[in-house]
Amino acid sequence: MRAPSRTDAQQRADDIRIFQRELDRLERENVVSFSETQKRALMDHHERLLAQYTQDYDIDRDVQAKQLSLGMRIASFLGALALAASVFFLFYQFWGLLSTPWQVASLLLSAAATFVATFWIQGRDATGYFTKLGAMVTFACFVLNISMLGQIFNITPSDKALIPWAALAFLFAYTCDLRLLLAAGILCLIAFVSARTGTWGGLYWLDFGRRPENFFPAAVLMFLFPQPVNHARFAGFAAVYRVFGLITLFLPALVLANWGQASYLMVDSDVVEGMYQVFGFVGSALAIWLGARRHWPEVVNTGVIFFVIFLYTKFYDWWWEIMPKYLFFLVLGLTAILFIVVLRRLRTTNYKLLEGGAA
Amino acid sequence: MKKWSRTHTLVAGIVLILATNAVALLGVAYNRSEPESTLRLTERELNLPYNWGFEKENSGIALSLQWRVLARQDEVRFVLGTSYTGFGNAPDWLDKAKLAALGFDVSKPEDTPQGRMYYDKMLSKEVLLVLELDGPACRVALARAQQHLQEEQALLKANPGKKEFEERTKNAKREFYQEERMSSRLFVVDAGRDAASLRARYADRHRYAIVRGKIQPQVVDINHKPELVAYITGLSISEINVPAIYRQIFEPLRKSTLTNQYGVATPPFEVSVAFGKRLEPWITEAKGSK
Repeated sequence: MRAPSRTDAQQRADDIRIFQRELDRLERENVVSFSETQKRALMDHHERLLAQYTQDYDIDRDVQAKQLSLGMRIASFLGALALAASVFFLFYQFWGLLSTPWQVASLLLSAAATFVATFWIQGRDATGYFTKLGAMVTFACFVLNISMLGQIFNITPSDKALIPWAALAFLFAYTCDLRLLLAAGILCLIAFVSARTGTWGGLYWLDFGRRPENFFPAAVLMFLFPQPVNHARFAGFAAVYRVFGLITLFLPALVLANWGQASYLMVDSDVVEGMYQVFGFVGSALAIWLGARRHWPEVVNTGVIFFVIFLYTKFYDWWWEIMPKYLFFLVLGLTAILFIVVLRRLRTTNYKLLEGGAA
Repeated sequence: MKKWSRTHTLVAGIVLILATNAVALLGVAYNRSEPESTLRLTERELNLPYNWGFEKENSGIALSLQWRVLARQDEVRFVLGTSYTGFGNAPDWLDKAKLAALGFDVSKPEDTPQGRMYYDKMLSKEVLLVLELDGPACRVALARAQQHLQEEQALLKANPGKKEFEERTKNAKREFYQEERMSSRLFVVDAGRDAASLRARYADRHRYAIVRGKIQPQVVDINHKPELVAYITGLSISEINVPAIYRQIFEPLRKSTLTNQYGVATPPFEVSVAFGKRLEPWITEAKGSK
């Protein structure tokens, strides 16, 4: 049996806590009754498991610890960003005073040394918070390393730099189980694929953002990637890919739904905007349906968010100028209620389907 | 299959960092192995960085290349000013035939709604540009400024004492002074896709440099008639890093209070800029001049 990841261990600990609470209830309601020996065996087994997980992964054993952990997660995320910015500005402050060989050496050594340091920290940090900080700083050092080499030697900007950046981020993500670095790697990859799509369309690569359709191939790639590649060992990774895939699909569609001139399509801007509005509604509705069917909550949530954004943008276009504001917001409120009713119906249908399946 | 271990991660990461640096540095070495051209530029063609915002915390110094194009004869020259640098003027030589040669599909007519939409949606392409230093284009710009001054002076002579013409002559004098002493002498004079054929046409490697830059076609109304023109929207490398060995030359110049008769800061310097095999520039020599 493979060793569980920290996320797996935390999930098991949560399950144990819920099981113990429900077992207490069932015993009080006289539904089940265990002998003292059985109860003792069960408790000992759970205690052993929790002690092992705490020792190996420093998991949260109760709700209070979980709340504190959330605080630590937020702090480590913000700290990672702040430390990365600090490294950037530190170099910016002094690099001009160094000779060219020292500039190159300090850039190279900072990337390599922070990489080794992160590796060392990972061996001693069961929580993963400090590893995340170290990995983010290493990633920032490496991005700084390559971009500053470009500045020092006046190298022509190239989208190829995104490849090693993505590679380092993925290396950290998959070996240290870091979703923040996975997101960084995915962003680099989205930028690269979109830039290449733009270049194939005849654009200068840095202009790829001026044609939002350039993002669509990257969106499809990101959304589909977790299908053939098994991510069972990496909790939450497949969800991150799918969420980024959907954002990369719907955000450019939202831009095009309001600014048709940016499209590649050689038709009137109003037609383009109309097409992408329909695409936005149908696409986000399909995402909700697919997410519900495949039990991908992140896909349902992203679909719902974009459906609401597309809907409210349209309401704004249609009614903001002509309606009294109280009526406009009333319509928004009623729409939200309608949406809740529809989602409840969908949930009920899902239950019925499950019951049918069980029968 | 052998299990991926921590040692594998360590080795993979270090190899990735080293290999990326090696590729970048080998590219630099290749570029600098032989200069393709060398231009001797002055403070007219290179601007010192501004000392505000984030730049205040930047200890590095990068000089920005000030390039110009000779405006089309039919443009309202003196609204923009002949000394205008960078984006703003559509050069005469960048016509439909040249755009086609640069790889733009210009087969659509620009005077139909479909054609207009087609060109409006067209985005910039990276091509090779020819920079000319203190050559015929520069002399034409100077001659135009001089001719404009003479026209204004003749008008003032015909309308003595009139405030409007006095003001116009004063402005024309200032423009001529700028053109003669201050404005960049570096003009983009041609574009192409093949460096060798451009070099064959512009053989003088101390007057002409080939660089990468972006061209953006656009349909504009000239005399109420839609016409396809194109702008040079920028050079791919617009700033040249100053190595630390030349820092002592430029650091005092950034703080210099030396101004010309119009109150414009003009700290003088001379820089030799080489453009290598990959058309990437670097400073080979620099000195502050008197």
